Amino acid sequence: MTLLSVVLLPLIGALLVPLLARARSPLIPAIASGIVTLAALSLLLLQAPTVLSGELITSEWAWIPSIGLSIAFRLDALALFFATLITGMGLLIILYAHFYFAGKPGAGRFYALMLAFMGAMLGIVTSENLLFMLIFWEMTSLVSFVLIGFHSDQRPARRGARMTLVITGGGGLALMAGIVLMGSIVGSFNLTDILAAGDELRAHAHYPLILTLVLLGAMTKSAQFPFHLWLPNAMTAPTPVSAYLHSATMVKAGIFLLARLHPALADTDAWLYSVSTVGMATLLTGAFIAMFKHDTKELLAYSTVSHLGLITLLMGLGTATALVAGLFHLLNHALFKAPLFMMAGAVEKATGTRDMRRINGLWRHMPLLTIMSAITAASMAGLPLFNGYLSKKMFFIESLDANVISPLNWLTPVLAAIAGLFSAAYSFRIFHNVFFNGQPRELPVWPPRKPALGIQLPIILLAAGCLFVGWQAEGIVHGLIRAMATASSGVKAPAYDMGQLHHVGPAFYMSLAALIGGLILYALRERLFELYDQLPPADAREIFEWLMTRAGNGAERFVHALENGSVQRYIALIILTAIIMAGPVLANVVWYGAKPMTPADPLTILGAILMMATAFGVVLGHRNRLFALLLLGSAGLFVTLTFARFSAPDLALTQLSVEVIAVIIMMLALSFLPQTTPVESSRLRRSRDSIIAVLGGLGTGLVSFAIMTRPQDSISDFFLEQSVPGGGGSNVVNVILVDFRGFDTLGEITVLGIAAVAVFALTRNLQLKHRIPNERDQYWASNPHPLILRTMARPILPIALMVSAYIFLRGHNMPGGGFIAGLITVVALSLQYMAGGLAWAHDRMLTSFRPLIGGGILLACLTGLGSLFMGLEFLTSWFGHYELPVLGHIELATALLFDLGVFTTVVGATMLILANLGKLMTVNGPGEEIG
Amino acid sequence: MSLAALPILVPLAAGALSVAFWRSVAAQRAIALAGTLILLFVSILLMQQVHSEGFVVLHMGGWQAPLGITLAVDMLGAIMVLLTGITGLAIALFSLGDTPERHEKFGYYPLMHLLLAGVAGSFVTGDIFNLYVWFEVMLIASFALLTLGGERAQMEGAIKYVTLNLFSSAIFLSAVGILYGLVGTLNMADIAQKLGQVEDTGMVNVVAVMFMVAFGIKASAFPLFFWLPASYHTPLVGVSALFAGLLTKVGVYSLFRMFTVVFDHDVAYTHTILLWVAALTMLSGVLGAAAQFEFRRILSFHIISQIGYMILGLALYTPLAIIGGVFYIMHHIIVKTTLFLVSGVTYRLTGTHELSELGGFYRERPMLSVLFLIPAFSLAGMPPLSGFFAKLIVIRAGIEAEAWTVTAVALLVGLLTLYSMVKIWAEVFWKARPEAEDGVQRPEPRTEGLVWMYVAITGLAACTIFIGLNGQPIYNLAEVAAEQLMQPQGYIDAVLEGRP
Repeated sequence: MTLLSVVLLPLIGALLVPLLARARSPLIPAIASGIVTLAALSLLLLQAPTVLSGELITSEWAWIPSIGLSIAFRLDALALFFATLITGMGLLIILYAHFYFAGKPGAGRFYALMLAFMGAMLGIVTSENLLFMLIFWEMTSLVSFVLIGFHSDQRPARRGARMTLVITGGGGLALMAGIVLMGSIVGSFNLTDILAAGDELRAHAHYPLILTLVLLGAMTKSAQFPFHLWLPNAMTAPTPVSAYLHSATMVKAGIFLLARLHPALADTDAWLYSVSTVGMATLLTGAFIAMFKHDTKELLAYSTVSHLGLITLLMGLGTATALVAGLFHLLNHALFKAPLFMMAGAVEKATGTRDMRRINGLWRHMPLLTIMSAITAASMAGLPLFNGYLSKKMFFIESLDANVISPLNWLTPVLAAIAGLFSAAYSFRIFHNVFFNGQPRELPVWPPRKPALGIQLPIILLAAGCLFVGWQAEGIVHGLIRAMATASSGVKAPAYDMGQLHHVGPAFYMSLAALIGGLILYALRERLFELYDQLPPADAREIFEWLMTRAGNGAERFVHALENGSVQRYIALIILTAIIMAGPVLANVVWYGAKPMTPADPLTILGAILMMATAFGVVLGHRNRLFALLLLGSAGLFVTLTFARFSAPDLALTQLSVEVIAVIIMMLALSFLPQTTPVESSRLRRSRDSIIAVLGGLGTGLVSFAIMTRPQDSISDFFLEQSVPGGGGSNVVNVILVDFRGFDTLGEITVLGIAAVAVFALTRNLQLKHRIPNERDQYWASNPHPLILRTMARPILPIALMVSAYIFLRGHNMPGGGFIAGLITVVALSLQYMAGGLAWAHDRMLTSFRPLIGGGILLACLTGLGSLFMGLEFLTSWFGHYELPVLGHIELATALLFDLGVFTTVVGATMLILANLGKLMTVNGPGEEIG
Repeated sequence: MSLAALPILVPLAAGALSVAFWRSVAAQRAIALAGTLILLFVSILLMQQVHSEGFVVLHMGGWQAPLGITLAVDMLGAIMVLLTGITGLAIALFSLGDTPERHEKFGYYPLMHLLLAGVAGSFVTGDIFNLYVWFEVMLIASFALLTLGGERAQMEGAIKYVTLNLFSSAIFLSAVGILYGLVGTLNMADIAQKLGQVEDTGMVNVVAVMFMVAFGIKASAFPLFFWLPASYHTPLVGVSALFAGLLTKVGVYSLFRMFTVVFDHDVAYTHTILLWVAALTMLSGVLGAAAQFEFRRILSFHIISQIGYMILGLALYTPLAIIGGVFYIMHHIIVKTTLFLVSGVTYRLTGTHELSELGGFYRERPMLSVLFLIPAFSLAGMPPLSGFFAKLIVIRAGIEAEAWTVTAVALLVGLLTLYSMVKIWAEVFWKARPEAEDGVQRPEPRTEGLVWMYVAITGLAACTIFIGLNGQPIYNLAEVAAEQLMQPQGYIDAVLEGRP
């Protein structure tokens, strides 16, 4: 419970602080954040005696047990140390930030993000469950992203933030894969189980993969070569962020992970070589570049990179003493680096710049800060008596003992000394350049403002910490660091021989050489800067952006190659995909079934040939659209004949009415379009397209043939059997439509209704080019409504409506039904339009087409619901036979009501389409809406 | 009583009523809210019923399966219907605030209901031809919604959309025909059972491939996705969001349904194809997004890449992978809809979707910024949001199946997605809004109705957090769904129970 509250306190604080940000005094959010942090810190410290005695505190709640995720915490010495560092440093940063932001807007936002970060960071170090830890791991990346982009109106800040997130986020994904892999092998994500399964993991075939993935996560987070590039670019963040996230805490998360997983993954050659090599590369790169940075924060950033490399190197060596040295240096680094960052921030506030070529000789203006920085810089340089000296000397001792590649054993200490030399040089530089080195030059703020005591207070405390650790090194190493090393490696760490730190031996000479060399290097700095300037400039951010732009351009080319806007190409790709996917199995298909073929009579063959000819004609003549449309209509007629030939009168009737209406509608639409289609594609492309089309058509045809020639056993027999006794109608097609599969019909009339609404909306909203009537139009327009047609149309209407009613009523037993009846009505009504004109027809017609559509669908729905009230399933039909006067025997079925819904919708929808398209093409344009 | 038909009937009736009340926009708005609320309520009830009974089956017209049309809802169906309810309500709320009069007067609300009816119908039906019918309802309704504005870009997008989707329908229908020829039935459970007796596996594979292509087009899988980026950025934002959330997922759902329950005869062939499709879909989608600088086009391409993750779950074909796929679908529908809706708010306030012309929302509208960050980070798979768990499960399934390449692709795509979301964040929210060119007066932002839009977005954002924090119950649902899919006999028995 305690651990849960430790993590939750800052997170809840993060949610609440923004509410306080509106408070009148900027002190209030700062104090609130401070209280929360202090509470978490005290809770932690209360556990210290138990934990340092070697006990492990754990607690666990279920979250998603099925994937192995639980809210599980563990607190051992390692976790306690990190947690204390996080909260303790957090407290100082909050104090610092209060003065740093001094009344500026955004401080509330800063505190909230700080607390969120603190909570996430505490979560990482106290998690017992690795998936749970991963959540916090990613959270730190996200919060860090927002914090780096704190000054979001500045482009470098945005770019730096983006780069950081991509690198650390990518590492996080690798870590995720690594953790999942470990969890799958071990069967649990709990650290206790994973750490205990070290031997199994190391022996597993996937060990190299796990190691790579986990290291990728750790290295990106801890800014190891070559992923270190994000850290200097993160310096666009406000200084409290740099001091906290990018020197004391977040960048240590990777190292924490290495220490944490030590029992599971370390002690192999792969670990030794990969981790120590990366550490060494980072150490050298960081130390070298730091020397040449003129910006205080950038220098400190590279120095941080280098120190992180140093600690990683020690983690890689992996011996008990190396572990002690690494963890000790980690403590020292936090103690001396954070105050240096704070100093850089205070100086920037005082002078308006971070450029060390301009800031000089500040000791006159800020003596206290000078003394404090002297302490911390000396510690960083590794001057004797200071804490940094001790851990660095430990490092030298380890480098001398390291047995990396035996013939090259001399290399490690040499490289270590070189790195130490650069490290000393840049430490001298940042201190001497800022506080001495002559007079300030053209400072933006002159005279420098005196830094408030409050902003210097955390620096003083940390400098005192440096001195204290240097003084009480033995107690700290034995009391704290050893317990940490024990918790990390899982094996009780042997006592560290502190005597060798005071011994004058090779390590002492290495330290001495580094210090003297550093001084010399610093003395020669002007020459070195000139040399460095001649190196080709390489700005990581530019490279990153360049890479991203290149990737973006590549992606664009790739996408454009696929997606160029041509519908032909898309369809060609679809057909090709189908052919390629089906290709490998075509050989296994049985192409000819056992069923005997129906004998073909000459008439049928002729019909088939004509049908094919019309279809082929459409393809050939598609450039002349009217011609193509007429041929299409004839192809439809042949389909109708085919239905009739194979005894499907209902289908034939339907097809016929649909063809008529469809051709009329398309004719209307054609009048808005050019009469011919221009030739746009090359001959090559047309040949390509025809090959694809033939292949696709051939395939479909062959497959259909294969299917039709095999014997079949289907549910059709049931429909034939059940039509009369079950559906109450002898027209099986109609019974299927309104009863067996009435639900499909309900869907289809909906489709029709929607289509009508779509056409209506389109004709209202479409902005068409003004049509120029040509001469032919004039000719037709002069005699728009021929007399004979007009005279004939009127008597046809009642007759057609009678036919329609007849077809509708008999539909259940003989060819017909609501759909066909509806279409017949529509044909009759549209004849009135053609004969008399729109205006004439509308004067004499009810035109509420839209309510008809809605009403039709509703009626069909209600018929179905009716059966629910009878306690039957939706759409269950009911029918009965009655003897009525005059009409005689009649059968009434609920299916008839359903069919009436179909009829109504068909009439409403089709009329809505026809009337509006027709209206659109009149000279007056769409005008008032119809329907 | 079986509730299976209600998710179709409620929006269908709401749509028909709205058409009947054509002249009263106020009535249509009221129906929009009431209809989607009832739909959500019904979908929750249905979920409860499925949860307690396992399968909810309804034989339409009282005709026993396989003779009539049977609605059959298993856990996957119930989940999808519930998501339809949630998305529908959110879209209705958003639309109340954002739909221009010109659209409201020309059938926006009825079309919205009917689209939802089509979507819900696809999820509850257990009949392959009936599925085709609901696809048609969806297609025509979505086409109508696309063209409602009548603008040139909309027409261009809509024509590509409708052409390619009709092509998909044609393939679908041919496949249904061939399948009927093969097994003589349309009921999916019956098909599944009868396919087991078909010896000609070559032909079964051909049919399977045809379904794969037809649904692949709907789901916007590689290389069949072109209609999507061509059209999704053109209509009203509410419409885009509805499409983005639900339409492609109907394709994915159909793939899940057909390639577990029906086509499990030759997994080595069919699901290997799917595995390749998944990897290429993820990659091409995310690469496409990298090349875009228009808010909604970026989001559109990400739909494609995310579809890849879902198909990956199906393709790996292990229980865990299917769970991951289902979890991913749940997460994605909500998150993607939210993101599109956020783009609607920024559009309302600026009148543009171009990243280069947007900016400054971080300072001006911190609330909106948070509402963007939540779904954006969730989409990129960041914890503790829904996307993290969805990705985690899929990745774990990939690792346990030792499908290294495709798992690596999935991880890489996650990173690129993150980059893409950050690109939007940096451009739209962080960057200061660029000054208007000389003489061009910025239109005053229209703020009326913003409340509705915020309510919709906040509700959905809360959903993604809820899924993240309540992973176990959600996982349980996905697990039940996956079990039912991997052991289709339960589904088959439930549907065919009491057959003559």
